[in-house]
Amino acid sequence: MTVRTAATASWAASPAWYRVSWCQTETPDTVTIGLRPVDRPIAPYQPGQFTMLYAFGIGEVPISISGAGAGPDLVQTIRSAGAVTTALCASTPGQTIGVRGPFGTDWGMDSAAGHDLLVVAGGIGLAPLRPALLTALAAPERYGRITVLIGSRSPDQLVYAGELSGWRDSGARVQVTVDQAAAGWTGHVGVVTQLLARAPIDPAATIALVCGPEAMMRPVARALCDRGVAPRNIRVSLERHMRCGIAECGHCQLGPLLLCRDGPVISYQRAAPLLAVREL
Amino acid sequence: MSGIPPSALARHAFVAGLPADYVALLAAAATDVSFPAGYRLFEEGGPAQRCWLIRDGHVALDMRVPGPARLLVETLGAGDVIGLSWLVPPREWQFGAEVIEPTTAFELDGPTVIAHCESDPALGYELIKRLMTVATVRLHATRIRLLDLYGRTPAGTARPHRQLREG
Repeated sequence: MTVRTAATASWAASPAWYRVSWCQTETPDTVTIGLRPVDRPIAPYQPGQFTMLYAFGIGEVPISISGAGAGPDLVQTIRSAGAVTTALCASTPGQTIGVRGPFGTDWGMDSAAGHDLLVVAGGIGLAPLRPALLTALAAPERYGRITVLIGSRSPDQLVYAGELSGWRDSGARVQVTVDQAAAGWTGHVGVVTQLLARAPIDPAATIALVCGPEAMMRPVARALCDRGVAPRNIRVSLERHMRCGIAECGHCQLGPLLLCRDGPVISYQRAAPLLAVREL
Repeated sequence: MSGIPPSALARHAFVAGLPADYVALLAAAATDVSFPAGYRLFEEGGPAQRCWLIRDGHVALDMRVPGPARLLVETLGAGDVIGLSWLVPPREWQFGAEVIEPTTAFELDGPTVIAHCESDPALGYELIKRLMTVATVRLHATRIRLLDLYGRTPAGTARPHRQLREG
């Protein structure tokens, strides 16, 4: 994971204007949008970083970058949950949005080279993992076995559902489990840790990238440790109230960390003691 | 015809590490079975007298509801144990089970295993510890699912998870 200092850069403090170039509905409440710079683009970004998206007149929210930067568009997946995200989800091509960033640490894809990649996602947590996966699948010779385990509430809540077969065709072993199966579902039903128990893992050769609700990441990380994966090789993406993105306001403090700068991606070795503290 | 080579049974995760004499006892009560997709292993309310140690494949636990559909409760795969109701009264299946993908398993005869456990409490204690682990893992998983972590507002909280801190 690489820490980038954004506090003194002008791009971090004031938004760049981006125009919505396309929108794709992922689930009934989740939309992926492609954003193209109107004038200056944000600085180059890495898988795992996030931006602050500004819906004019409404507010600003932290959103993980979901694209790998291969095309001209900045790709972000947004779930409608409050006023700002609802406005962003309702945006249409041609609309202008403010973008600050990129912020925070990344998944460290360079340092993961030479290892098996185990991607474990829960719900919308697949969004920040998608660029890591796309990066790995674009250069599979750099990595060993690529395994993707996805937990979703139900089949209709699965994001990027249309991409899974392509990921499999590109060499990833992709498995999905749902909490609630719908009629006709023939896949797995249960929690993602159950998929983990059946996944082939070489503990010494595995780098795990984990993202989802913390109550999902903790059991996943513990299960990985039980399988012999070293905590330093388990990378989790954490969130708190990211506001400024430049480690000034303190809203995203987690113990000694300001997650907008020192996170969101940190090793489980570092995260585990912090996640065990109540009210942190 | 029951009875399989103990060496074959010993490779299953549930049995791994058991003393050889216990493995031999269980192997004598086991049958090597395979089922095609769509096969109904058991039905809710039926007598529970067997369990299966899945070697390969995919099996769904389900429950009847009015109409033709069944509610999928959970799916199990290689390394899992399917069937716990044989162990405790009233020894009736609480759910149904259907094979989703062709499945191979070791089928254990419940009454025979229980008889071995009754006559050798050390074996009984060892098996109960292992079955308790299976049950506990499933209980934990069920509790996590009850939390509805991926929902808009996870159960018991007022705030959605992930990317959604609009405070």
